[in-house]
Amino acid sequence: MSEKVIEVQDLVKVYKDVTAVDKISFDVYQGEIFSLVGPNGAGKTTTVEILECLRNPTEGDAKVLGFDVRKDEKEIKKRIGVMPQEFNAFERLTVKENVELIAKIYGVKPDIENILRELGVWEAKNRQFHKLSGGMQRRVGICMALASDPELLFLDEPTTGLDPQARKETWEVIRTLKKMGKTVFLTSHYMEEVERLCDRAGVMVKGKLIATDKIRNLISKYGGGIKVSVEGRNIEKAEKMLKSFTEKVLHEKNTVIGKFKTREEASKALAQLYQLSDGYKIEITEGGMDDVFSQLTGGRVDDRGELI
Amino acid sequence: MRSIIPVFTALIKGWLRTKTGIFFSFLFPLMLLLLFGTIFGGTGTQKYTLFIQNFDLEDGKQTELSEAFINALESTNIFEIRKLDPEIDINTYVKENPSFEYNYRILKIPKGFEKKLYEKSMTIRLNVILSTFSDFEKYSGSMNPDDLKAMREGKEKLTQLMENLPASESVELIFLAEENDMSAMAVEGIIESVINAFNNRLIGVEEQAMTITAEPLAEKNMTPGDYYLPGYIAAFIMTNGVIGATATISELRRNGTVKRLAATPLSKSSWILSNILQQTTLAFMLTAVMVIFGWIIFDVHALPNIYAILLIFMGAVTFSSIGMILGGVIKDVEAASGAGNAIAFPMMFLSGAFWPIEMMPGYLQTIAKFLPLYYFHDGLRSIMIMDNPSGASLSFLIMGILSAVFIVIATKVTRWKEL
Repeated sequence: MSEKVIEVQDLVKVYKDVTAVDKISFDVYQGEIFSLVGPNGAGKTTTVEILECLRNPTEGDAKVLGFDVRKDEKEIKKRIGVMPQEFNAFERLTVKENVELIAKIYGVKPDIENILRELGVWEAKNRQFHKLSGGMQRRVGICMALASDPELLFLDEPTTGLDPQARKETWEVIRTLKKMGKTVFLTSHYMEEVERLCDRAGVMVKGKLIATDKIRNLISKYGGGIKVSVEGRNIEKAEKMLKSFTEKVLHEKNTVIGKFKTREEASKALAQLYQLSDGYKIEITEGGMDDVFSQLTGGRVDDRGELI
Repeated sequence: MRSIIPVFTALIKGWLRTKTGIFFSFLFPLMLLLLFGTIFGGTGTQKYTLFIQNFDLEDGKQTELSEAFINALESTNIFEIRKLDPEIDINTYVKENPSFEYNYRILKIPKGFEKKLYEKSMTIRLNVILSTFSDFEKYSGSMNPDDLKAMREGKEKLTQLMENLPASESVELIFLAEENDMSAMAVEGIIESVINAFNNRLIGVEEQAMTITAEPLAEKNMTPGDYYLPGYIAAFIMTNGVIGATATISELRRNGTVKRLAATPLSKSSWILSNILQQTTLAFMLTAVMVIFGWIIFDVHALPNIYAILLIFMGAVTFSSIGMILGGVIKDVEAASGAGNAIAFPMMFLSGAFWPIEMMPGYLQTIAKFLPLYYFHDGLRSIMIMDNPSGASLSFLIMGILSAVFIVIATKVTRWKEL
């Protein structure tokens, strides 16, 4: 694995009577898109803001790019790019002016035209920030985070409140960041987003980090395995065959569903199925992050980020 | 620190592009200036009310000379003269007539005014004649001895006459005015110049060998606008800070702009200084606009000098720091604006910025003296109208201390972490 850019060890944050972050540990590696995923109030933003040096940890250690969040605030802030939650810029400044402002604060002279073109906001460069759509505003926010050419970007809930189209466009922008060689740390309550966009994720609920792994591993561990459903006449033949590979077989009318723990098991069964194919209609579905989440927590997260 | 200028520029640009901001910072003050300036005294030349209590009476009538003096005062066209019965005891009268209290400028003409003046002028004239004789004696070489003798005899007689005259003393006029009445100084100056002219005429030295143009202190063709302008400038710099900066800061905090900036290497002190710099710039812009507007509409002549600029700077720092404190402490935007209004409006009206503080009841005047705005507008008035920066030293002291204290508090309460 490549170099660690974030190292979090037993991190705790306590507000008056609430433990917002409860002894969590994880690492983030260079060049990946990592996400903390969970419902509202899970402690994602608190964690991100500790890493951005916007909050002090109560206990535990956190290093960002090798610097201690308690001691090296200046060094960290110089090297990271940030888009806070419910991000806002100076409303009456134009897109270009806002990006320029951030560059001047960092004391750098980036190729702003290039950044704006890369993220698709060049056409809107002279429009005032408050006149932009939500999706465009997020892109400008990412441009601002990119202005200092940081190695590591923190995007806190980058797609919350956006319509599905704008959300997908933002994903494209985030993928562009990865292509640029940046490490991206984001938070989200959209399971689909994490599944499609991220390399690794940590599932967070009530201040605790329940599982951290590659998305693929999370899904194969907690996603409920792979479902193979077969439809057609002479379905009994298929059912008998599936049962020789797995105990979990369901028969509903003219459909048989077999559940497999791993892809390997499923592929063996599929190979046989195709051999005896009798005009079967075969469908393969794999569990997703939604299933991972409900498997881990017994709940689901709705569109607004609430735990149900 | 290098970030101050870009952040300041961003704040100014943002402000210039907000129509409501411009309205409340510039147009609203101008509207009020127009309104109040018109209500209080029209656009004519300011007249000062001067009460005169003439004790120099003969058979119940004013003596000729005291009447002539009063007429001379009236002829300046600066005073609106009202006569007070000499029977009245001023101290009780002032207390019994509250409406009288706010501009009691009273000139007392003492009993014996005419007599003393004649005696004094006689002594002066005789002295003039005697010294003329002495001058003649220096050139006596070419004189007829008889003439010289006659002259010396005359001189001796005159000297004897003078010795027999009662000792002449100067007439002392008493001018009473409220201690804090700025305009009283102007009034006193004008009376003094009338006295000088009157003295000269009385002695009868018509042709003066030397003249001096007396420009009475701070009397610069005042218009009502002149009187009100410094008060307006002070009041609106205060509202821009206490209401404007509060609203701006709490809104930038609410909408996440502050958090966005806090996540950059920008330091908290740079952020505070950028805001104060912006408010100071606004204060100077407002001053310039008000002065130009006042000049066009009200023929105002008061121009801010270096002292006024320094005091305006202190005021802008003080009040924008108060704004930063309110905006930094109160989380809710509405509540922060409410707090700004709740502080600014009573202060604006209680401090006497819009009208002479003397018009207000005593207890309100006491309250006014606890308000920073009082020292701000009082000092500004002293500098801009009275042309008397030393009269503003208390204002400089208090505003200097307050600006330092509030900027420190603002730095303490502004949160750059745990936003």
